[in-house]
Amino acid sequence: MDGVRLQISNLHSGYVTPDRGLVPTVDGVDLALNRNEFVSIIGPSGCGKSTLFNVIAGLLNPTSGEVALDGKEIVGRPGHVAYMMQRDLLLPWRTILDNVVLGPELAGKPMDAARNRAAALLRRFGLEGYENSYPSSLSGGMRQRAALLRTVLCDRSVVLLDEPFGALDALTRATMHEWLLGIQREFQQTMILITHDPDEAIYLSDRVYVATPRPMRFAGIVPIELPYDRGRDVTMTPQFADHKRQVLALLRGDKGALDALH
Amino acid sequence: MTAQKRRNASLLSYLGDAALPLGIVVALLALWEAAVHLLKIQPFVLPAPTEIFKELLISGPTVILPQLHVTLIETFAGYFAAVIISAILSVLILYSSTFRRGVLPLIVASQTIPIITMAPVLVIWFGYNSLPRIIITAIVAFFPLTIAAVTGLKSLEPQFIDFFRSLNATPAQIFFKLRLPVALPSIFGGLKVAATLAIIGATISEWVGASQGIGYLIAQDTALLNTTRVFASLTVLGVAGMALFGLVGLIERLSMPWIYARPSMAWLRASQNPRAPAAAVARPRQ
Repeated sequence: MDGVRLQISNLHSGYVTPDRGLVPTVDGVDLALNRNEFVSIIGPSGCGKSTLFNVIAGLLNPTSGEVALDGKEIVGRPGHVAYMMQRDLLLPWRTILDNVVLGPELAGKPMDAARNRAAALLRRFGLEGYENSYPSSLSGGMRQRAALLRTVLCDRSVVLLDEPFGALDALTRATMHEWLLGIQREFQQTMILITHDPDEAIYLSDRVYVATPRPMRFAGIVPIELPYDRGRDVTMTPQFADHKRQVLALLRGDKGALDALH
Repeated sequence: MTAQKRRNASLLSYLGDAALPLGIVVALLALWEAAVHLLKIQPFVLPAPTEIFKELLISGPTVILPQLHVTLIETFAGYFAAVIISAILSVLILYSSTFRRGVLPLIVASQTIPIITMAPVLVIWFGYNSLPRIIITAIVAFFPLTIAAVTGLKSLEPQFIDFFRSLNATPAQIFFKLRLPVALPSIFGGLKVAATLAIIGATISEWVGASQGIGYLIAQDTALLNTTRVFASLTVLGVAGMALFGLVGLIERLSMPWIYARPSMAWLRASQNPRAPAAAVARPRQ
């Protein structure tokens, strides 16, 4: 752990309606993310997790609070973090290769170098032989892998993943988890994942932040004490089951049950 | 199944698709021919198809085609003017709310004026040349094209804009790399409608104050009760209209390979690349 990458301090967000005034969606969130860490935010649907991501991505201005990336304030300034949304959002008119180099292209970087780098990574992302295919001829899992390659090629110091596997079937999803963890370790990515699947959160993360229903707050943080190199069988260990009990207790708002565990 | 067999099968089904409408046309022509002979209909009322065909052979190359040439030049000039006007208008409508609220209703209201009644006035303004007819053609063609372009440019899902904004994309990048490609299918729909309207507009505009063109020829022949040549001219006009429509359709196919790429291509690629998972290939295209 060499230094804080992303520091979120006392973040509040909300929107104004004529009859109810300011409706808070995020109500005092603190989060610190170290280099090469993987953390998850788990919470019920519609709890404001996506609002939090939109604030970090600079798409939405918070009511108050700070977001600092490598010590620099980034509130309201898009382009500093890579954001992978729920849908793959591949552009149907571009081939896979042209899709994954979108980040460098929009930033005006030299395209030959970007293409060469992308072509070299296609195999690692299971897309070899599909560089000239259109997204419509790919399966859901392949499309998500292409979207992740595009995210990695944006070369941002933090990657936001908003339920990237939500639309996949359970078997594909399990395969994608193992593969994502491998990618995160291999490419030294610092990642935040939004999910409402406890198994996904625990298996992938160094830390799991459990969010309350709207307005969003953190009910607790569960440090995951599983080995750094973990295979799928780690989900069968008592340690994993303990973590799952902790997360579920926090999700139910059952603080007493959590204290009993410690 | 081999690729050759697939090609043959698709060719057969293509011919099958064409056989039915062709059969209907042949049956209708036969009925028409029989009716004209049996009911002894005068040629100036309704000429028989065989007579029209003969007329096509006689005056087609010498009389009709030179006049069609004039009309096609007006059609193309008016069409391109309509494309440029639509491009400017649709961008203004998309990005300026003042323009959208102030000028768009006026454009819509102007469409209720039967534009052909403007032809004599335009002749007074611009003289006895092809300019008034090019203007009428452009006015007839620009409206559906503009509406189609605006609809297409607005059809973008907001998530895509958020995604581009998260990458710090400029407004120009969002327009050219996102909005425009999304709008292309809709724009080409408008281009096809506008192509048929342009040729109709150019022809009808020649009914007033013109001294040449296929519309002028039809008007003259109608006055002289040369109904056979009117039908021959209409046949030529119909073929020209279909050709124009087909040309736009061809450009459409070439411009949007991601929609018109043959499904069999994925299958070919997979057979060349044994590592490619079969699941991705078996998935049907939407």
